[in-house]
Order: sequence, then C-alpha cells, then structure tokens
Amino acid sequence: MRKRTVRRTAKQAAAAILAGCMLLGGCSSQQSSDTGTSAAGTEAQGGDEEVDKSSWVSEEPVEISIMMTDNANQPLKQDAPSHEEIFKKTNVKLNIQIVPSNGYNEKKSIVLGTNNFPDIIYIPNTADIVTYGESGVFEPLMQYVNEETMPNFYRFWQQYPEMKRYLLNDELYVFPVVAREETANGFGPVIRTDLLEKHNLPTPETFDELLEVLAELKEIYPDTIPWTGRKGTTQLLKTTSYMLGSGYGNNGLYYDEDEGKYIFGPASENFKAVLDYLNRAYELGVLDPEFATTTAEQMDSKLGSGKSLFFLDNSGFAMNYTSMLRKVEGYEDATYQVLPIPENSFGQRRAQAYATELPGRFYAINASSEHKEEIIKLIDWLYSKEGSDITNYGVEGYSFEYNDQGEPEFIKDYVMQFKDAQPSDYYAIYTDLGITKLDFCLWACNTKTWFEIQKLDGNWTEESDEYWNIIASDQAYVQPHIDPPLTSEESEQVQDILTDVNTMLEQEYNKYIMGEAEIDQWDEVIRQCEEMGVRELEEIYNNAEARVLQQ
Amino acid sequence: MKRENVKGRKPQSLGSRIFDVVNYLILAAVGFIMFYPMFYVLIVSISSAEFINQGAISFFPRGINFEAYKRVFDTESIWTGYKNTFLYTFVGTAVNVAMTAMCAYPLSRKDFYGKKPLTVFITLTMFVSGGMIPLYLVVNGLHIMNTMWAVILPSAISTYNMIVMRTSFSSIPDSLVESAHLDGANDVQIFFKIVLPLSKPILATMVLFYAVSHWNSYFPALLYLNDQSKYPVQVIMRNIIIDGDMAQAGDMSGMLNVVATNYKYAIIIISVIPILLIYPFLQKYFTKGVMIGAVKG
Repeated sequence: MRKRTVRRTAKQAAAAILAGCMLLGGCSSQQSSDTGTSAAGTEAQGGDEEVDKSSWVSEEPVEISIMMTDNANQPLKQDAPSHEEIFKKTNVKLNIQIVPSNGYNEKKSIVLGTNNFPDIIYIPNTADIVTYGESGVFEPLMQYVNEETMPNFYRFWQQYPEMKRYLLNDELYVFPVVAREETANGFGPVIRTDLLEKHNLPTPETFDELLEVLAELKEIYPDTIPWTGRKGTTQLLKTTSYMLGSGYGNNGLYYDEDEGKYIFGPASENFKAVLDYLNRAYELGVLDPEFATTTAEQMDSKLGSGKSLFFLDNSGFAMNYTSMLRKVEGYEDATYQVLPIPENSFGQRRAQAYATELPGRFYAINASSEHKEEIIKLIDWLYSKEGSDITNYGVEGYSFEYNDQGEPEFIKDYVMQFKDAQPSDYYAIYTDLGITKLDFCLWACNTKTWFEIQKLDGNWTEESDEYWNIIASDQAYVQPHIDPPLTSEESEQVQDILTDVNTMLEQEYNKYIMGEAEIDQWDEVIRQCEEMGVRELEEIYNNAEARVLQQ
Repeated sequence: MKRENVKGRKPQSLGSRIFDVVNYLILAAVGFIMFYPMFYVLIVSISSAEFINQGAISFFPRGINFEAYKRVFDTESIWTGYKNTFLYTFVGTAVNVAMTAMCAYPLSRKDFYGKKPLTVFITLTMFVSGGMIPLYLVVNGLHIMNTMWAVILPSAISTYNMIVMRTSFSSIPDSLVESAHLDGANDVQIFFKIVLPLSKPILATMVLFYAVSHWNSYFPALLYLNDQSKYPVQVIMRNIIIDGDMAQAGDMSGMLNVVATNYKYAIIIISVIPILLIYPFLQKYFTKGVMIGAVKG
C-alpha cells in the first residue's frame, strides 16, 4: 500500500529516486556519493589494505547512532572529517542524529519517555539524570568504571572526585564531558577603558567607586545610558548578585563559597545590598531605565554604537563590542575591557567563572543497545589522548600535525582558509572538522583550540591578550559548584517551591530597583518567601550536599 | 448614520467625506503596521552589519550589500531543506486534498448510511486527541519513522478542513447526483466527473490551506525525522534563528549573537518568498471557497 502510493506520487513529482530512497531508509544520507565512498572505505578496510587496528573496538564495522543537539554557531555535520577519522581508528561509524537545539528538549523527552532512542544520547543537564536514571532506560555504568575496562575514563574518574555528584543512588548513568585545558571567563564588569583614560578617571577598586565613575561619565556624556544589559531583571540579578555579596544562581538558589552552604539568595539579608546598589545606579541615571525589558539585540546596538559604556555580564562580550564599535566613525580608538572584580560592600571580591573542568555536558547509553561493549570501548577511546586529539584537532596531516613534544598543532595553511569566515574563524573550523565540545567529544577543548587558531591566523588581538591576562590573574573568580543529586521526590518539591516563590518575587524586584518601595520593606518579602518554603528548599540542598560529602 | 453612508458608497455629505479620509488613514496605518515587520526584515537583510549593530536601520537599508544572501546560498543545508520542503509540501498537499475530499464527499450525501454517528465520531477528534506520545508510538509502530510519510500521514486529514469541504459539497444538489445515477454513472464516476469539477474553489482553498501548513510545518519534522538531510527548511531556519539565543545561556566562549542578524533575516526572506508567491494565484478562489462553506450550514 505504501509502495503504491510512493510510485504514484513519484510519477507526479518526478522525484522517484529521492522518495524511494527515503522510504526504504537504505541510505542514511541524501548525499549518496558520500555514503557510497564510506561504504567502499569499509570494504577496503576490512579487506587487503594494511591499517592500524590497534584502537579498533570491533573487527566488524559497527554503526552507532547518537542523538545530539545542533548549534547555530557551530552547525554539526554528519560526514565531518573527524567523524570519518573516528571510523578509521575505531571501526565505528557514527550515525549522528542532529536535532535543532530549540527542539532538543521536547524531542529528548519523547524519545526517552517512549524508550525509543539511539545508542547514545546527549544529556544537557543533571536534572535529566534523576528523571530518567530511575526509569531504567539508561545503561548503569559503574560496572565499567574501573582500571581494566575503561583505563582512560578511570583516570579522570580518579582525578575529578566531583564526578561523584553525578551519581544517582550510587550508580552512574552518564559520561560527563571533561574539559581539556580550558580557560574560563565569567560574569564581570566591562567598561570603556579609553574613556577612563581620556578623562583621567581612576580604575574603580570598589563597587561604590564604580558607581561614582559611571555617574561622572554620565555627566560628561549626558546622552548616554552608561549601564545596559540584556534579558531583563532576572539576568541583571543573575549577573550582579554574587559579586555584590549575595547570589542568584539560575533561579534564586546558589551555593555560597564563602559561607559553604546553599542559600536562597533573594531571601537572605545580603540581598538587600544587591537591590540597594541597583537602586542607587537607577536613581543616578547610570542604569538603563529600560533594564527590566531590555533584550540582547538592544544591548548589542547600545554598546555597539557607543550609546552605552558599561555592562556586567559575560565579560567575553567585551572583545565583540570593541570590534563592533571601532567600525563606527569617531570611535576608532574605543576599547571595552574587563575590570578586575571590585570590592563589594562586605569587603569581598568575588565572582563566578564558567566551568573549566566539567562543562556540564553528558552522554547516556541506551540500556537496550545492541552494541554496549563497543560503545564503552569507543567512549573510553574518546577519553584517551589519541581520541581527544582527533575529536579536537581533526585529521593528522590534513588539519593538524604533532610537534616534537607529541602535542597536536593546527596546520597553518589549513587554518588560514577560515581567517575571515563567518560566524568566526574558530567556529568555522570546528564546523568544518566536526570537533570540540559542541561535537561528539568527551575530552573536549573549547578555548584552547580557539586561542591556537586565532594566534595562527592573526585574529588574536592585544585586547584579547590583555583580557585573558586580567581574568587569569584575578583571584576573585570561583568555579561553579556542581549541584548534588536530589532524589526525585526532592526535586519535585524543589520545583514546586521555586515556581511559587519566583512567581511572587518577579513582581517585587523592579519595585525596589526603581525605588518605588523602601529597601526595609524587603524583610516582609523575605518573610513571604519563608512562608512559601524557601528554608526547606535550602535544607533539601544542604542535606543533599552533606550526603555527597559523606561518600 | 455613518454606517449608512459607508453602505451607500457615494460620499454624500462633508461628514461622510471626513469619515472616509479618517477611515483610509486608519486603514493605511493598520496596513503599514502589518507590512512594516516584513519590510524591516527585508531591509535589514540587505544592510551591512555595522549599521544593524548600531540599530541605525529604520526605513531604508544602509550599506546595501547581498553578502547575507550569498552566505545563505552557500549553505548547503538550506538547499537540501528547501528541496525537502518542496517535496513534503507537494506530496503532502496531494495526499491531504485527496483524503479530505474522499472523506468529505460521502459525509455530504444525505442518503449515506451512518452519516450522523460518523460525523460525530470524526468531529470528536477535533477536541480530543491522543496526545503526542501515543502519536509518536503509532508512527514508530508503522515503521515510517525517519521517512517523509511520518511528516505527511499523521496529518493527512484536518477535521476542520474536512468539515468545510463537506459543507461545500452538500451545496451540490442531490438531484444532480441522482440524474447522474440514472445516466448510469457509479459513485466513483460521480465523484470525479461531477462533484470535483464543480468544486474547484473549495479545492483551491484546500490546496492553499494545506500547502501553507506543510510549508510552515516544523514540529512533526523535528520529532519524526532523524537525518539532517531530510529536514525541511523550517527546521533548519529555526535552528539558525532561534538557537542564537539559546546558545548564550550556557555558552562559555564569550561570543555574543555571532550569527549575524542580516544572515538570519535573509533566511527568513528566502523561506517565505515561495509561499507568498502562490497566494496571488489562488486568492481569487480563496474567499469564494471559504464563503461557500459558510453560507450553507
């Protein structure tokens, strides 16, 4: 019946080959020429040709399917050279199901909910470990975590005890991606340093001085809106709270490194300092009056046109805005540069950096996969130096070569082709080769390869150098705290409380920042939060943390 | 008072003339509000990045260039997506219209046995659906996952459209069908040779409804297709346009909106143009077709 329909339509549509190919599902890719070559390659490898089989995980070629999220900056490709190289080295053909990122969570929950997913699936957050770990769809992995079965992974397992936080009831369900020589920035204050120099303003040492400097700039340039942001009030609180002595995390709850415990930021005494600071900035005309509704596009255009002079967000944006602004007439010398983290009203200098060790990307294995043994071997190989070199540098002789120390280095001629590529030189290379963190890579580079590429092709600037030096020498940054695993009951309770509390709080913040309510009244808000159960929330997390520490 | 003037069409008094002027101004303003976003996307797509970043574009493109389009045309996945969208739209619409017409015709005949209960049964599906997961399991059970049929078959008939079509068919007099019967035609012949040729407006309307929905369809493709080479252009477009924001949330590389706005907008333009182009050709049937359904209940 189906076939008949196809034939009929095919006649009409003159697309017989295409439709037939799709229906039969015979070829996994429409680029039939590519499929053809790799199939031929398989035979050649299985047959006469001498190949290095030392890292093969199976004598027979195996096809392993992986579901992964795509990325606009770095679109994934099924037939990227690095994937072909993995096939050559391990005899495993990766069949990557590339799902657009904006639909990934929906598709993920359906394929996992119906237990209908590929051999390997990408898991973007720890919450899924709890949700699906208990349902039995993922292969339990502790049986493989030992010196013999997975020597390479076991090395990282020993090296990063934090990985135990991914355990659910003492069982591991996901392989975490490990970062390779990652340099991390984080949220930080970025200001037009050229204006500081021009007007002889001192580099602010404290947050109060920062406000003074911005107020002075506002006086000199009355048309500007000195401090802008993106994504409204929540983002403003996320970016500023920790530095100002409290914290916000992603949803209010955060781990305070100085206190050594979980705190629900908005319901703490210190949070008043955050609101008070933002209120002062607002009253001085320093903070964007549209702070509550501003978008990323508006932030781009304000900072990219010189309308704004300061932001406190991912400080890495500084370099983008510098190059944007310098293209505008009259701003050829403009420079955005990150400030060393100023001291807050409690005398602390503190900021949160992005993860440099465990970037929070995971891969789980289908418990009913037919190729578990091969998958485990493949994954272990991907944690090895050889596997990591291929998944981060591509193909030896084509995109990289080993130097005298045995370290991979990109080949300059290869890199130069992408010098002016969009969206950026390194993302274009990542896409072209199918490499690094956003691709199927377990011991993954991100900044390491980025810097190496830019230093090779000449896109590395003095400002980049200065930027990374400031970040590296600033002691204020702390690594993100990996949340302990919660039981499913706990996480349900947490969700309930958070939803209630945040719905209430979101209506409150703006009143205090815009000065419609006195800061003393915040005590009343804290009381309401307590009624809604924030102390229980903190307790759940602190107990879970204690459980992890006991292990 | 004013209402009468509008009905009479001829401006008779100063008041009604003023009303006309005001009316046209308001309509022009509304029209502009409708038109502007589209126009804005167009001018941004041909402007240069510097001006876009500064937010300096409002009514005219600045630094006109076609780099963004060049990049779009260089992107292979967009072409494959395009090809797939055309295929799915074409095959899908054909399946839709055939199935809908064949379902609607018997239900429009008064002498069709079990017409009432069947209609109720079918109408129920408009309000109660099995839900996403059961549907997914059905598609999976039919072994059409990751084929174009997964995108086309689950939505082969839209109940709403079927009812519109049924109503339209029921305006064809029974006596016409009876006389055809007397002349020796069977039901199939009557359907193809009499009913369908008389129903061109509603067919055109259905083609348009279905084609547009296939063209814009995004979610079934996301759910049921696994190979990137089978994705329609909407999936690829959404990936490039909406992803830009998502990437920043957990992105540690310090890049901001690296996908250029003019590139995004160029993709939008490219993906809406074909479907915009078929509108004018079907428009003359369009209002007529829907009206036919409306008049007779």
